[in-house]
Amino acid sequence: MSKLEDILLKIGSVDRRWIFIIIAIVVIIPLLVPIGMPIRATDTSKAVYDAIEDLPKGSKFLLSLEYSPSTKPENHPMAISILRHLFRNDHKVYITCLWPDGQFMAQDALSQVAEGEFNKVYGEDYVLLGYRPGAEAVVKGIVSNIRKLYSVDSKQTKIDEIPMMDGITKFKDFAFLFSVSSGYPGTIEWVQYAADPTGVPMSSGVTSIQVNEVMPYVQSGQMVGLLAGMPGAAEYESLVGEKGSATSGMDAQSIAHLVIVLFIVLGNAAYFIERKRSRKY
Amino acid sequence: MLWKRQIPILIVAVIGSITLFGWFINEPSIKVFVEDDATQWYNILASFAAILGALNLIKIQVQKVLYQKPGWGYSSIAVFGFVFSIIAGFFIKGVDVEWGAHVSSEGTLFKWMFDYIFSPMSATMFSLLAFFVASASYRAFRIRNFEATLLLVSGIIIMIGRVPVGGVISSWFVMYLIVLCAGIYVNSWKKDLKITFVFVLVGISLVTIGGVLMGWPIDQPGVFYLPSIQEWIYYYPNVAGARAIMIGIGLGIFATSIRYILGIERSYIGE
Repeated sequence: MSKLEDILLKIGSVDRRWIFIIIAIVVIIPLLVPIGMPIRATDTSKAVYDAIEDLPKGSKFLLSLEYSPSTKPENHPMAISILRHLFRNDHKVYITCLWPDGQFMAQDALSQVAEGEFNKVYGEDYVLLGYRPGAEAVVKGIVSNIRKLYSVDSKQTKIDEIPMMDGITKFKDFAFLFSVSSGYPGTIEWVQYAADPTGVPMSSGVTSIQVNEVMPYVQSGQMVGLLAGMPGAAEYESLVGEKGSATSGMDAQSIAHLVIVLFIVLGNAAYFIERKRSRKY
Repeated sequence: MLWKRQIPILIVAVIGSITLFGWFINEPSIKVFVEDDATQWYNILASFAAILGALNLIKIQVQKVLYQKPGWGYSSIAVFGFVFSIIAGFFIKGVDVEWGAHVSSEGTLFKWMFDYIFSPMSATMFSLLAFFVASASYRAFRIRNFEATLLLVSGIIIMIGRVPVGGVISSWFVMYLIVLCAGIYVNSWKKDLKITFVFVLVGISLVTIGGVLMGWPIDQPGVFYLPSIQEWIYYYPNVAGARAIMIGIGLGIFATSIRYILGIERSYIGE
């Protein structure tokens, strides 16, 4: 018994570089050799899918991307799956960005999905309006008069010359809003300044760390469902029927979480032994 | 003093009052100001603020390099990055596209910089979090008291319940685990091996009988199925806490805004 306690104590005071190595191994191996764990869609993810599925064909859909390369593994698969779903149902997609990096992310997702998979025409099926500084003021600007805020798109083409911008003057002209967000400004600003005051339905895909603060808006009905972090992205990939990077990332995340829990258990075992011994002496 | 103190306070008070009362007064001109003009003013100011922020950044970093303050080497890299971005953004496009569109067009120097310098570095910085979270949870997540235990247990449930592996852990396995953990507690409380043995045996027997009768469904009873518990934690305790924080923040913002409008809060003019 005391030998086991000694081993646990040793594990409890292990150098953190060993932890780093173990985490690196358990993340890399499932990425290289996927296990293919079953993905079960949660109610919040299903709600997003159903809401988009229920939109009539050719609906005007506002997609706002506010994330950067740092959260790309979580947010980008959401943007790609949502775009696939939208283009499959022939919706018109209008993209705005509250973050400067969002424009690059949008460009990347569009070249993969709109151009590479669906051969959609720029200006007729989708338009990238781009980034504007001002956070919630941009949201308010889109709500009151989008044309004052965006006189040109990201390619510097005049808004009046873009066919699919006909009849679009304010936020209420859109049928649905989806925000792919990883912080401020993002989902919460869209709920507070756009979707809730105008009654236009919205949903969002956020990083895992944001789920806590966004969930009250889902529960109150101000948002229709939610894609929560990488698991949410993987669930949406399975709902759309196109597996991508989020699905393969879930194996790595599963194993990494299990290992972290194991670390916590071992750390606590060592803590209790240490406490017991210090009481004894 | 008039221009540095009274006038800015007056501007804040007047604009703040108009914006606030714009929500309560049905006057079209005020509504247009609040919803349209003020927003555009903000956008223009935000653009200038971005320039001001960039200039401030370069000033601080250049000063650090010139006076060789601690960490000046990093500052020199920041200055180099800043100058490179300016050149890529304002002087060298790389391919023949419109100015402005060159920022995100394929083949331009700015896009190259974003794809091959900014993106990998940004992703690397964020990825490091996984290692620090693992190390920190190993050392800091300790069962010290009731609150810490509650946090630890809910943290573990969320971590496992959110990922696919949580879905393949049967609720019966969780029940057996609970019986064993309760056995540890009973042992440390009664300090009698016989009582502990009987407790664990009865617990395991009850779970096994329940399992045999119900046919061992993986997600039943739902109260012991990790994805279901995880969803419940997200929907109820978490939302309750998040709402309390949001209401607190909202009241705080309201109080601070009133202080600004009344001229009590003057930190923006350096007081």
